[in-house]
Amino acid sequence: MKKNWLVLLLVLFVAMIVAACAPDREEQAEAPEGSTNTEEAATEEKPEKLVIWEDIDKSAGWLEDAIASFEAEHGIQVEFKELNMADAIRDQLRLDGPAGNAPDIVTLPHDQIGQVVTEGLIQEISVEDDVLARYSESSVSAQMYNGALYGLPKATETPVFIYNKALMDEAPATMDELYTFSKDFTSGDNYGFLALWDNFYFAHAVLGGMGGYVFGEGAEGLDREDIGLNNEGAVEGADYIQQWYSEGLFPAGIVGETGGAAMDGLFNEGKVASVMNGPWAFQGMRDAGIDIGVAAMPTLPNGEPMKTFMGVKGWNVTSFTEYPYWSTKLIEHLTSDEVSLARFEAVSEIPANVALVEEPAIADNEGAKAVALQSQYAVPMPNIPEMGEVWGPMASALQTIATSKSDSKSALDEAVDQIKTNIETNH
Amino acid sequence: MKESTSSTKHRKTAMLLSLIPGVGQFYNKQILKGLVFLILAVSFGSVFFQYIGFGYWGLITLGEIPKLDHSIFLLIDGIIAVLLTLMGLGIYAFNLYDAYHNGKRRDLGEGVNSVRQQYHNLIDNGFPYLMISPGFFLLIFVVIFPIIFVLLLAFTNYDLYHSPPANLVDWVGIQNFKDIFTLDVWRSTFFSVLTWTIVWTFGATTLQVALGIFLAILINQKDLKGKVLFRTIMILPWAVPSFITILIFSGMFNDTFGVINRVILPMIGMDAIPWMTNETFTRIALIMIQSWLGFPFIFAMTTGILQSIPEELYEAADVDGASVFQKFFSITLPLVLYATAPILITQYTFNFNNFNVIFLFNGGGPALPSQNAGGTDILISWIYRLTMTSAQYGKAAAITMILSIIVITVALWQFRRTKSFQEEDMM
Repeated sequence: MKKNWLVLLLVLFVAMIVAACAPDREEQAEAPEGSTNTEEAATEEKPEKLVIWEDIDKSAGWLEDAIASFEAEHGIQVEFKELNMADAIRDQLRLDGPAGNAPDIVTLPHDQIGQVVTEGLIQEISVEDDVLARYSESSVSAQMYNGALYGLPKATETPVFIYNKALMDEAPATMDELYTFSKDFTSGDNYGFLALWDNFYFAHAVLGGMGGYVFGEGAEGLDREDIGLNNEGAVEGADYIQQWYSEGLFPAGIVGETGGAAMDGLFNEGKVASVMNGPWAFQGMRDAGIDIGVAAMPTLPNGEPMKTFMGVKGWNVTSFTEYPYWSTKLIEHLTSDEVSLARFEAVSEIPANVALVEEPAIADNEGAKAVALQSQYAVPMPNIPEMGEVWGPMASALQTIATSKSDSKSALDEAVDQIKTNIETNH
Repeated sequence: MKESTSSTKHRKTAMLLSLIPGVGQFYNKQILKGLVFLILAVSFGSVFFQYIGFGYWGLITLGEIPKLDHSIFLLIDGIIAVLLTLMGLGIYAFNLYDAYHNGKRRDLGEGVNSVRQQYHNLIDNGFPYLMISPGFFLLIFVVIFPIIFVLLLAFTNYDLYHSPPANLVDWVGIQNFKDIFTLDVWRSTFFSVLTWTIVWTFGATTLQVALGIFLAILINQKDLKGKVLFRTIMILPWAVPSFITILIFSGMFNDTFGVINRVILPMIGMDAIPWMTNETFTRIALIMIQSWLGFPFIFAMTTGILQSIPEELYEAADVDGASVFQKFFSITLPLVLYATAPILITQYTFNFNNFNVIFLFNGGGPALPSQNAGGTDILISWIYRLTMTSAQYGKAAAITMILSIIVITVALWQFRRTKSFQEEDMM
């Protein structure tokens, strides 16, 4: 008897708690819906301060001035904090956002946009057309996802042709020239040209230049059903890549996860005449005492320029801010021509502003000029989350192609099959 | 007779009264204890009532309104609510038991303890419990809580498209497990990774154990000069952090520039071996590296045991005319295994989850055609890939559970066998 009573009491107790405690939040639920509209500047109060998260070591020398001029104009204080852009900002935002400590503005690489929008971490912004006209078209398209704008571009980067001036007089205009040079130059530990073409980030330049593409253009952004990585052009490109490896112009030692370190090491020892690498590599090479020259990538044998992948770093407004209108105003200010120029002078990241291409500070800087030039042919990395499924299978395919374990057509077919299955199962 | 009739009354009344915590103790005239129970219950209820109710609601629904409800936070709140409830129930049960127990003492005419006696009782009998309780309390939140979290995550559809704050996570029952065993991509990858994981565990561990024991016995020979020097050298691989050793090995095994293919193999007249790009050779290299990393520990342990084996055993064997091998298999090996068996088992379970060496040596590569795990990925590094590149948190949790079940079963089974093994009379 006693036990039955106890059990009954317990059940009642728990049932009571569960029933009583579903929070009643009808009114609260309405609130956030209406307030996200950036158009309603009139209804949005002026904030006391806004918070920015900038990439690590990238705020010195320009951000404080930019903040001061914004405060002078609008009377809004701005605070900033530095966090590693590659992953820390996103990971931190996932936790701090729902907990109520989120910043108003973050900086993110554009290829994360699809993912963070899906997770609901950043919000759509609306700016005037004359603001958008400030930036190059491709950098704006990198900030678009499903037809909506999610940020403003701050800097762009893309791989370029870097050569050791001691070993090469001037950058070749075509890959055919480079091939002949390389055939001549390569012997023992010396290589005429090296590139990590088993890494899809770099290999896309070749596949894309020959006619391949990752996702086709659909009506609303990229079409995830249409994958062009095993079309005729892509296979031709892969064959071309294979040629460099199989003829011994690229050693097997730069294949795989550790290949990048091996390549950098050889270049910094002065054994390699030229490499394909991004602007982030300049400093390390100069530090190693190499006198480098930088140029746009040579054209492919079919006469087309290399379609390198472009990375766009942008300013994004988080979903957690109460002041979307003023946050948007602030990032407009941060990407204005004057501020962008000051930022370039401070941190050497190449801005996306069209008006700055002619600016002497950029036009006379060999590295910046080469990146700007190459950017004309570059395509932004796809920013849809499905892109995450492309890297792995493509790396596998390119690796098997580079080591001649399989021919281009079948390796790429298999990779595309796998990308499609993964997209179907994971997305 | 009189006493026994009255006895039923006291214990029953006290316990029933204690349904409101503390009242039973008042009835037993233990005012202080009753007060403690009452205050504890009231404060527990008033502080946690709302929280626990909200937690249960969250745990069951995982949120109802996207953007407002954060499913993962609710899940965490829910688990904490369950833990709190269990603690509360524990104290409540103790309160009932205490009232009943003291009522019974009164019934039997033993009288209840005074406050002073209760204090001494607590110090004398409860001291160990008192001492471990802070640690145990911490353990609940640091160890048990995450385990429950992963366990529950395995039954949700938590992935990129069901990521808070934009979306809600839902309970999906055993769908994740079903998918792993029925969908083609998942099943084939799972079983191929599992096969290699098992081969890896047994290959690498057995080799490192055998090598360690062999070297220990070799160096423990009576006539050997310079034992100290040899022992020091044998321990050295252990003294270098494995992280560094693996990275150095990864450079040494590089296909083109590694010292192994460049210097060592040509010296003995062999051609270069594709260590990093052929999965069979990568596997062989990994097993060798792990033997290198793992043997010093076994070596040191075995050396200690060998020195404690009484010399008389060997003298007696000599008298009986035993050969060297007979002495080894009948005396040395059984005694060594007898003492080290539990540690050997932990070596197997350690290698089963040895993420470092797999990940640092070649990133789980080389890539294999038609598989989404690399050629040397073991289960744990595959789980890492799943969560980092595909954001398949639910599936990864399910695989983690399967992996834990395997490890726990094997460890339990082996430990039980060793126990029976140990109970045999060895000497």
